[in-house]
Amino acid sequence: MSIEPITGRYMTVKIGGTSRRIYFEEAGQGRPVLCLHTAGADTRQWRHLMNDSEVTASNRLIAFDMPWHGKSLPPEGFETQEYLLTTEAYIETVLAVTEELGLERPLLAGCSMGGRIALQLAASHADRFSGFIAIEASDFQPAWYDIDWFHRPDAHGGEMGAALVSANISPYAPNAERWNTLWMFMQSGPGVFRGDLSFYTRDDSLIPRLPTIDTSKTPVHIIVGAYDLTCTPEDAERTAKAIPGATLAVMDELGHFPMSEHPAGFRPYFIEALGRMPSYTAEAA
Amino acid sequence: MIKTFRHIQSALEETPHLLRLGQLFSETVLIEVDGNEYYLTFEKGHLSEVVEGPSRKTPWRFALRTDTEALRKFWEACPDPGFHDIFGLVKIGRGRIDGDILSLVKNLRFMKEVLTLARATKELAA
Repeated sequence: MSIEPITGRYMTVKIGGTSRRIYFEEAGQGRPVLCLHTAGADTRQWRHLMNDSEVTASNRLIAFDMPWHGKSLPPEGFETQEYLLTTEAYIETVLAVTEELGLERPLLAGCSMGGRIALQLAASHADRFSGFIAIEASDFQPAWYDIDWFHRPDAHGGEMGAALVSANISPYAPNAERWNTLWMFMQSGPGVFRGDLSFYTRDDSLIPRLPTIDTSKTPVHIIVGAYDLTCTPEDAERTAKAIPGATLAVMDELGHFPMSEHPAGFRPYFIEALGRMPSYTAEAA
Repeated sequence: MIKTFRHIQSALEETPHLLRLGQLFSETVLIEVDGNEYYLTFEKGHLSEVVEGPSRKTPWRFALRTDTEALRKFWEACPDPGFHDIFGLVKIGRGRIDGDILSLVKNLRFMKEVLTLARATKELAA
């Protein structure tokens, strides 16, 4: 079939008191699973799972582009603003999208900074979700690079960002998907990757909140790739140990963008993660 | 080791997309392996010269310092985690990058792909 089952639409929500036009895609039916992309990228990272009929037979996968990313616009007046994502704005955005879509306690699946905010939401708004799949997610990592490299007037931040994050892609990744993954970073708007990294590499507020997460009510499953230099298996393991009852899976042949860089390799880990979450029918009852 | 760098030099000439990507890159790069110096001089994307040190007179823009075993693993067809990327070598403590790092970052895709031109011919790394 040449036409994919994924559909895309737009919504307008208020975030920080201002209207944001947000693009979202969805596919499937049944249990809602809200999917969050990584820094410097967009919903296209999730397209392989959204095109997976076995996954979507009983799961309604929904992914949205964060403001400033993909097809979601930056706020009015962005031309004079410095984009710096914060934990508070990120949480507000995820909750606003969940509410606008009328999602009843969806699963939250996020990768990288999406995984970080999934854990923040597990600590602060667990009642709004039924479980958390945190991919390439950890408590905190300071940058091992200078985030200011990625927003300069004399060089292309997207190309430099793509070249940097290629370090996080597994050599087992199919070449076409390696480059499709990097293309999103190349397309990222000026300063957006830097603004995401500011959140990811400077906000360590999650660390003391991890022990407060109640996995008996909302399970947390962390998945990490061995080729991830940014969130290493050691980082993910440390994080899982700090959350009572959290589970962890290490993927030997994957990197930091598993659902995008190596869809076939990631698929069994994601299906396993879905299986660890509360069943939709039980939740509805 | 010098044999591997000369292989990279000739392989680059057979890789048009890299010559295109590197057309604004004219710098000398120091690769130090177990303390042995190799100066790679690029001119408009071509690796015009590979010179073995030691030298106290050759200026260089940035340097990658590592060891023979780390490079042998880096040049394997499917390297272990950490050995798959030059920043991975740094992360696992098997490499150090210094000098004008911004110059490297501005030309990062080019430099990474040039250095992996030896990946398919790992026997040359011996």
